[in-house]
Amino acid sequence: MEIIEKIKTNKLVENQTEIQKICLHKLKSSPLPNPKSELWRLSNKSKFSNFLDYSVNEKDLKFDTPYPKNSQSTIRLIIGENCQIKLIKENYSIQQLSEDELDKYIKEQISCFDQNENWSDLLNLSLSCKKNILGLKINGSKIPPIEIFSNASSNSLNAKTLVILLEKNCDIELLQVNLGKEKSSLSQSTFFCLKENSSVNHGVVSYGENGSNLLNSLNVIQQKNSEYNLGSLHFKFNYARFEINIKQSEGNAKTNIKGMQITKKDEQISTYTKIDFNGPNGFLDQINKSLADDKSHAIFEGSIIVPKIAQKTDASQLSRNLLLSDLAQIDTKPQLEIIADDVKCKHGATISQLNEEELFYMRTRGITLAEASKLQLCSYFQEIISFIPVSKDRWDLLDKLLNEN
Amino acid sequence: MVNENLVKDVVKEPYKYGFVTDIETEKIAKGLNEDIVRLISQKKDEPKYLLDFRLKAFKKWQKMDEPDWAGLGYKQIDYQDIIYYSAPKQKEKISSLDEVDPKLLETFDKLGIPLTEQKKLTNVAVDAVFDSVSIATTFREELAEHGVIFCSISEAVKNHSDLIERYLGTVVPASDNYFAALNSAVFSDGSFVYIPKGVICPMDLSSYFRINSGDSGQFERTLIIAEESSSVSYLEGCTAPMFDTNTLHAAVVELIALDDASIKYSTVQNWYSGNEQGVGGIFNFVTKRGKCLGKRSKISWSQVETGSAITWKYPSCLLLGEESVGEFYSVALTNNLQQADTGTKMIHIGPKTKSTIVSKGISAGNSTNSYRGLVKMGTKATGSRNYSQCDSMLIGDQASANTFPYIKSQQPNSEIEHEASTCRISEEQLFYLQSRGIEFEEAISMMVSGFCRDVFNQLPMEFAAEADKLLALKLEGSVG
Repeated sequence: MEIIEKIKTNKLVENQTEIQKICLHKLKSSPLPNPKSELWRLSNKSKFSNFLDYSVNEKDLKFDTPYPKNSQSTIRLIIGENCQIKLIKENYSIQQLSEDELDKYIKEQISCFDQNENWSDLLNLSLSCKKNILGLKINGSKIPPIEIFSNASSNSLNAKTLVILLEKNCDIELLQVNLGKEKSSLSQSTFFCLKENSSVNHGVVSYGENGSNLLNSLNVIQQKNSEYNLGSLHFKFNYARFEINIKQSEGNAKTNIKGMQITKKDEQISTYTKIDFNGPNGFLDQINKSLADDKSHAIFEGSIIVPKIAQKTDASQLSRNLLLSDLAQIDTKPQLEIIADDVKCKHGATISQLNEEELFYMRTRGITLAEASKLQLCSYFQEIISFIPVSKDRWDLLDKLLNEN
Repeated sequence: MVNENLVKDVVKEPYKYGFVTDIETEKIAKGLNEDIVRLISQKKDEPKYLLDFRLKAFKKWQKMDEPDWAGLGYKQIDYQDIIYYSAPKQKEKISSLDEVDPKLLETFDKLGIPLTEQKKLTNVAVDAVFDSVSIATTFREELAEHGVIFCSISEAVKNHSDLIERYLGTVVPASDNYFAALNSAVFSDGSFVYIPKGVICPMDLSSYFRINSGDSGQFERTLIIAEESSSVSYLEGCTAPMFDTNTLHAAVVELIALDDASIKYSTVQNWYSGNEQGVGGIFNFVTKRGKCLGKRSKISWSQVETGSAITWKYPSCLLLGEESVGEFYSVALTNNLQQADTGTKMIHIGPKTKSTIVSKGISAGNSTNSYRGLVKMGTKATGSRNYSQCDSMLIGDQASANTFPYIKSQQPNSEIEHEASTCRISEEQLFYLQSRGIEFEEAISMMVSGFCRDVFNQLPMEFAAEADKLLALKLEGSVG
């Protein structure tokens, strides 16, 4: 593992920024995540090592997007390519954070990092050079939808970082697209801060190509009366991890998460979520779906933490999984850690295959097996896809998934 | 607002079984080494294969680390500061109960387990284990008429050596985990049950474990074998005196069910849990596992866990036989500074296997109560099903309730369902019951009782009366 050797000798990137130095220093003491920890226990070691085999690429590589052309009504940004933005309109403003603001914010975050839980962020921030960090401050309302792209080019490891500070009473729709090219590794870390009364409809679509790898980390801090809605979709990665870390810093906030991961061939895709209620009256509604086919492996681990202060929390978490092949594997572990007594918390998990009775019903009405299965999958996917903002009309995600399966 | 103090009072029942029996005991020196293992084996006059089994386990134990994944906070156990063998002094061979030291009989009388002919419980055969040895087993002759063997494991080693050699360590191998290895090296006694082919055990069997000595650990081992088409129901109960020191209890239970056999294993665990400041109490590290070897075999675990300062216990089922069934019903109540990490493992290996898990956790005081369970569908477990339900009830805002279900499936043609919820005694429900003239305490009892009903229904009816006397559960105190 080339990267690890370089971390140990601290020669990973030239002209290191202060943040990179801090993170590299932290990583030096534990250059690899602890394989015994629950967060990394099930991670495929050889695939993870493959992630770290590529060398860091900081060069400008043109991103040939296979996605729909930019529409006039959306704002499109590509991290590392065209990150210059300053939009000040009558009812909203989108501005880049100054270097000092960005530095300050990231350092604050690093100071709260846990070496094990935030290993992916530490790696990301030690690799991300200045131009690959995009920091935005968004204010106002009726803001056009925003699309932000991160990509990794073939035979290299790219690190992209996104920081978004959402001012009070602001609401946005944001779609983040992570694209992994053939034989590539992408490290993406996103830091979101939602101030009071703000609201976000956030979509994360990660789509890989042959042999692509992804470490995707999402850190969200919600202040009171904020609402955070996340719709996510990960598929076609040889190895992908999606780590979601949400903190309702003062409670009284609302979080809705609908995520899905689809694995085929010998892929491994995992989702780890940690929702920390740090105040009363928090709300969470989470559903995570996995579909595993061929020899693949899908993993979900979700933890809900309700300390004493978080009275009247209402949290529910559901993990629904479809196992479609004899050689595929699914691991799921929803967790509750509760101290506050006046709370409503529940979780559920199911693993099964496509419902045979439904299939039978459709076939008795003249629908072929293939069509009936497709219909079932369609309804399985639809719940998540309809929750992803911006994508609905232009992205054809459903078609893409159905044709893949 | 619910009067929390009242609620706390309801779940706080003083420990009734904390007395010490003043009896002359034979103890060996503190500490653990190969010589101690040999000495225990020698004292029990064991055959060579058993000594080899112990020594092999001891070697493995020395190389193992104490597990820390459960996140239980307890002071480090000094394994050299424990007496590994302690037995009340009595005649070598006891042919009848009359020869048992009257003090011992009196102790069990006080615990609600009369052993003497005149008083013994009807329709329940009891094996009474005091510290490291079994002192008496009732109804042996009656059971023998049906071919059922029910005796202490030491006797089984002498009289049924072939069965012990064939089955001991086949369900929980010595290297299974740290505490199982320790037990395999130093186990002193326990119960042995063998139900022959086609026999439905005519009465319920019961073991009662009593720790009396403050500085010795208890390491008992239970082995139950149910041959084809046989059936047995077994209950174990445990108590210990109140000491300021922590006593280690590391037991192993192995169950084997062959074709069409069924074993129901119920536990009412009421070891001393320490005082309100968390001083003293039993460290309870137990490995319980059942192997459904035969087709359509069934193993059912039901447990009521109320005692122990630390509980680390995951009764499991290995479902190998086609259409075999595993069940786990549990109520765990923790109070004060108790910590319980308990749950089950259902490993589906054979086709069309089924398992059900119902776990109810009640946390009060500053305690921690965790459910940790594993459901695994192996590649050959076609048409298998699992259903799990884990509910927690919190009393007070200092207690913590955690749920950690591990679910793993490698078989598409199987179904796993898991659900968990957390609640508390709601003010509306209390108000409703009180407005209908039901006393506050009774209302709480009704609600706790309702919360646990799914599990209590699984406890053998025969034991209902006995269980009440036997252990006066803290929980039952509140259930009424």
